[in-house]
Amino acid sequence: MAYFRAASIPFAVVIGLLFVPFIWDTFVAYQLGLYLLYGMVAQGIALCWGRTGFLPLGQALFFGIGAYVSGAALTQFGDNWLLLIPAFLVAVALPALLACGVGLLVFNRQVGSGPFFSLITLALSILGFQLANSWSTVTGGFNGMTGIPGLPGIDSYEHLYYVILAALLFGSLLLLYLQRAPFGQLLSAIAGNEDRLQFFGFHTGLLKAMAFGVSAGLAGLAGAIYAPHQGIVTPQAVGFLLSAEFVIWTAVGGRNSLMGPVMGAVLIGFLASGLRDTFQYWEVVVALVFIVVVLRFPGGLAQLAERIVPSRHRRTAIQARQRTHTIAGTKTQPETNLKFDHVGLKIGPVTILDNLALDITSKGIHCIIGPNGAGKTSTFNVLSGKLPITSGQISWAGQRLSGMRVDQVAQLGISRKLQVPSVFAALSIDQNIDIALWAGRLRRRDYFSMQPFAWQTELLGDLETRFDFLHNGHAPAGVLSLGQRQMLDFSMTYLGEASLILLDEPCAGLSSAETVEMIEAIAQINQLTGACAIIIEHDMQVVERLSDHVLVMHQGTLLASGTMANIRNNAAVQAVYGGGTK
Amino acid sequence: MELLVVNILNFVFATATLALVVLGLAIIFGMLGVMNMAHGEFVMLGAYGALVVQNAGLHFLFAIPFVLLLCIIVGWFIEWSIIRHLYRRPFDTLLATWGLAILLRKGIEAIFGRDYKSIDQTLPGTVQLMGVDYPAYRLVLIGLIALFFLSIFLWYRKSNTGARIKAMVTNPALASAVGIDTRHLARLTFIFGVCTAGLAGVALAPMVRIDPFMGLDYLLSSFFVLVVGGLGSLEGLLTGASVIAGTDVTVSALISKTGGYIAVLTLSILFLWLRPNGLFSSR
Repeated sequence: MAYFRAASIPFAVVIGLLFVPFIWDTFVAYQLGLYLLYGMVAQGIALCWGRTGFLPLGQALFFGIGAYVSGAALTQFGDNWLLLIPAFLVAVALPALLACGVGLLVFNRQVGSGPFFSLITLALSILGFQLANSWSTVTGGFNGMTGIPGLPGIDSYEHLYYVILAALLFGSLLLLYLQRAPFGQLLSAIAGNEDRLQFFGFHTGLLKAMAFGVSAGLAGLAGAIYAPHQGIVTPQAVGFLLSAEFVIWTAVGGRNSLMGPVMGAVLIGFLASGLRDTFQYWEVVVALVFIVVVLRFPGGLAQLAERIVPSRHRRTAIQARQRTHTIAGTKTQPETNLKFDHVGLKIGPVTILDNLALDITSKGIHCIIGPNGAGKTSTFNVLSGKLPITSGQISWAGQRLSGMRVDQVAQLGISRKLQVPSVFAALSIDQNIDIALWAGRLRRRDYFSMQPFAWQTELLGDLETRFDFLHNGHAPAGVLSLGQRQMLDFSMTYLGEASLILLDEPCAGLSSAETVEMIEAIAQINQLTGACAIIIEHDMQVVERLSDHVLVMHQGTLLASGTMANIRNNAAVQAVYGGGTK
Repeated sequence: MELLVVNILNFVFATATLALVVLGLAIIFGMLGVMNMAHGEFVMLGAYGALVVQNAGLHFLFAIPFVLLLCIIVGWFIEWSIIRHLYRRPFDTLLATWGLAILLRKGIEAIFGRDYKSIDQTLPGTVQLMGVDYPAYRLVLIGLIALFFLSIFLWYRKSNTGARIKAMVTNPALASAVGIDTRHLARLTFIFGVCTAGLAGVALAPMVRIDPFMGLDYLLSSFFVLVVGGLGSLEGLLTGASVIAGTDVTVSALISKTGGYIAVLTLSILFLWLRPNGLFSSR
């Protein structure tokens, strides 16, 4: 299996490291052990930063919490494993839950990799430092928690070194598994296009908070071993200095790689121990290296290593999906009833939607037309939860939509394609299709199971025969032409088999041949899924071919609705389009 | 009564100095979209500039031109070498300026050492105000900051450059198409922002402990102000500064310094959770 092939790298690294105490002396094993612990924390940062695209700047907080909990437990419980094991679990779980909670709060309304999250984590780490300093009855204050005994039964640095290697292997295999599972693929999709993922119904804030939680748990585990390794835990272990170093090690080692951050921590650790005291400007040099790496070599050392030793695994891992598990195509369809009840949208002084009232109660295809600025895309934006309405009410199948997040609206069976085709460019076509198939279908346990990669539906088969390029599944979606992207995006919008489909100019930028192909696809696929589709379109050829029901919008309100012939003869519509004045 | 007056004056002073510290960050983030993680380090540079002037045996006031020159040179160099390549890549500017912050901290640490420094400037004495003795330096500072904000506000509203900046912020492509040199303007904006941070550092230097890590506190409290006040307006900045300074001063006085820090941090997280655009959002 691909997972085991990929797992051979951490196995090889750890087996190689096993021999270190035999070759060098105890002091090297001691130092290397410490740097490997730091490397584990850096691996967690890489999960957040390289994989998911947000940067935690205060990771030492979680490392330090783990260290203090473990230090207190070892001091109190001595060699009683019955009490120590639960304490170590707390040392991992406490940071993980704390991170998850903070992540949920901060990511709730923040999309993307904004600086707010990074600054909050930095502030938390500084708070941790202050608390550790002032709460001296528990932490020992400025002088630290001292005299922490070693792990019972493990009496030398060599033996502790093997414990560290075991923890490193465990952490690496866990991270590798998470990255390969649907969970990890969704994290990559977040880094690529978080907005699009929300339109598929994924609660991206929760996913990011979970990734942050995993990284914090890993930091807690490393901290829990750090306490017996050092015998002392000072507030420095929670502080911003160590936090900043974690980020530097991650960057230099390679934030997109699994073992790279460990490499970064070990390399800089050994260099620093040799140079810090003799070379005054060592830390200045490290900071300069960090800036250069971040801007010019985002792959870090790992990328460099890969260029020198091209990996076999990379090539063998690339293979088209074997989709063998057919899952149910159609779900229970709710009644088709979309209702805009005097919906108003104002942004600043500008009225975008003005008492918009419309009802759509039949399946099939409905077209919205109207001049630029009529509020067509804004109608989709308020319907899909992207923009909050300022007055009125929107409901779908009797369910009121106001106040819902984008992903919650999508979960009700509303799927939307944006005007600019937005696929996950860094992911392969197969991975794009996976995510679309998972929309609304992925249950909680499926996030961590490999089975969803084998999912197949009747609709997917149909789309693959229609759009031939979908067979070329391992190609990155970023290399597709604009037309192919439109078709992929269109396919993805339908694959979740939502009951209400919103298509924003699906034929924009297509050649005339492609337009014809697309019109046919929309008509037939919509017929097949039995969905209600609303299409925004300027191209009357498309409207005429597809629609039995046309809605005309103008200046934020509904000007007319009816069949194409009705609309053509409508005096108000004629005035808007042909009369010269808006 | 006297206690109340002192507390109110302390609150006004804390708000004014905090507003001065935030101004540069707000300008650079609000107008250029660059979260300058090295903002606090420019405050630190200002404070160390005052220290250098003192060590040279010069009058404290010489620190102002010295720090301005220093910030213009460093700010220009940073904009030229790093920032200008990264406009509209917010995540990369975050990383680059974070690296820069570390670089400045470590550079200062290598030159001046890690230990605390202080300015031994003998400050003018106290002044009788509404029945209490209050340090004159603080009162002068409050007045100067108020004057500074007023003149910037009027200048931004009335001047041609203010109008050009507004054009650049709203639509950079169109602004450069109608002949506004946005690259030049962005550079000036950046330099202006870091200069205000440097001046804040000079102004605060006689009252704080000076060490290589002092910048972090200023970065974070500025960031809290932006979160609470919202981006893009002077009202937001001043309201944010008074909420953060007020909370910090009150809770610190009642409980402890750490308590005050916890209070403002919690407040900021709550704002990010429930009202991510702050009290005065520009949209």
